[in-house]
Amino acid sequence: MKPFITLKDVVYEVGGQVVFDKLNLSLDKGKVYAVIGPSGVGKTTLLYLLAGFIKPSSGQITIAGDAVYDVREQTSFLFQDLGLFPWQTATEAVKMPLEISKDRRKHENESIVNQLLGSLNILSYKDQYPHQLSGGQKQRVALARTLVTQPDLLLMDEPTSALDAMTKETIQQLFLDLQSDRFMTSVFVTHDIEEAVFLGDEILLLHPNGHYQWLKNKDQSEGLSRETKAFYDQCFYVRKQLELGGAGHE
Amino acid sequence: MSKLKRSLFHPLPMGFMMIIMIWYVLYLVIATRTIPAPLETFNYFFRHLHPLVIHMGASLMRVVVAVVLAILIGLPVGIAIGRSKRLDKVLSPLLYIIYPIPKVAFLPVFMLLFGLGNVSKVILMLFIIVFQLMLSVRDGVKDIPPHYFTVIRSFSARRKYLYRYVVLPAILPRIFSSLRISIGISLATLFFAENYATTYGIGYFILSAWMKMNYVEMFSGIIALSLLGSVLFGVIDMLEKRLTPWL
Repeated sequence: MKPFITLKDVVYEVGGQVVFDKLNLSLDKGKVYAVIGPSGVGKTTLLYLLAGFIKPSSGQITIAGDAVYDVREQTSFLFQDLGLFPWQTATEAVKMPLEISKDRRKHENESIVNQLLGSLNILSYKDQYPHQLSGGQKQRVALARTLVTQPDLLLMDEPTSALDAMTKETIQQLFLDLQSDRFMTSVFVTHDIEEAVFLGDEILLLHPNGHYQWLKNKDQSEGLSRETKAFYDQCFYVRKQLELGGAGHE
Repeated sequence: MSKLKRSLFHPLPMGFMMIIMIWYVLYLVIATRTIPAPLETFNYFFRHLHPLVIHMGASLMRVVVAVVLAILIGLPVGIAIGRSKRLDKVLSPLLYIIYPIPKVAFLPVFMLLFGLGNVSKVILMLFIIVFQLMLSVRDGVKDIPPHYFTVIRSFSARRKYLYRYVVLPAILPRIFSSLRISIGISLATLFFAENYATTYGIGYFILSAWMKMNYVEMFSGIIALSLLGSVLFGVIDMLEKRLTPWL
């Protein structure tokens, strides 16, 4: 199968500092990829390159066969701070991407938004502003906003970092349910090893020496429950690889 | 009963009653013809309501035209300065020079350039409002968190959506507070602007009464001016409440 995303010899320099030097990656359609690594290694930069927010210094990124030169309409981005505007209610926030999108029929927007808010259990908060919502509710609104246009690629920058443990697990499960329904490709950055193991089909470890390493995480059909020994073994393995700092890997 | 109580204890009638009380005390203590009795003044006010309403209407028209023009000019210019570092570098020093100048000093110039009629008066008020508005809008745009622009960009939004969903809602509260301040100043300026080449306007009414040393009439004019201000501020408050419900 042809990869959905390819990065070919991607170099990215900023302020004279090389963040990526000839990065080559292939990502398949419908899979969840976790990107993990120490701070400053370029995790968010990788997401920004995939999103088209920034351009590589050299090399090429292709998504669904097309070279990425700018932001794609079929790519959605879930920001670390969620990026909800204080002046938009949940409904307005979720409706916005549909109104911006060129090929949408406006009269359908209301029902699409209500359906999505309902599936994320936040329909009763549809008229609330961000400051009236809890962290978990805000997260669901932001998730609904990214999913409403039915993207083929979802990029998430530390999506649950601001949540308490219980809400985090609920949102993670919700994400997995949505992911299996929609068959989209998801790439997310996290500092949380458990999150990377629980959500990711594969984990991309970025190391400070510029090396990177792929870890096959789980077979989606089998699932990887948190309560199993296999889950904690995998977490331990990922931690160990991070500690090794990519020695011997490329 | 509770509705009446609520209306009476609303800040506006409460403030009005306090001013009347202070006025009455001053009237009793100072005991001079220049401070007429509140009752006598209100009596005069209601007996001459018709001419007062015409004067208030003339002033209101000038202020409203000036405000609308100020928004039409100040909003796009303020946004442009806030968004472009180059424009900011060129235009902001100009604004800093013009902004603190008492605009009323330009009245003779405006009268010479735009005639003695309404145009020069409206332009004077426009001058007072527009620079305040430009600076507020510019600062409002600069204060928008940069990642809001990244968020809207992530939806492949064209420029018009950037303004619709980010810039305009973000600066709306600033526009309202700026209008509140500058309308207050421009109402006070009416006092000067309407003293020349007009026989209509609340500023003219007050100054004319002053010249005639008819202090009851003068105070009636002051009440009318306050009323005009209250109506304008009330409209701004109402619009703000409706257009910025998240605050």
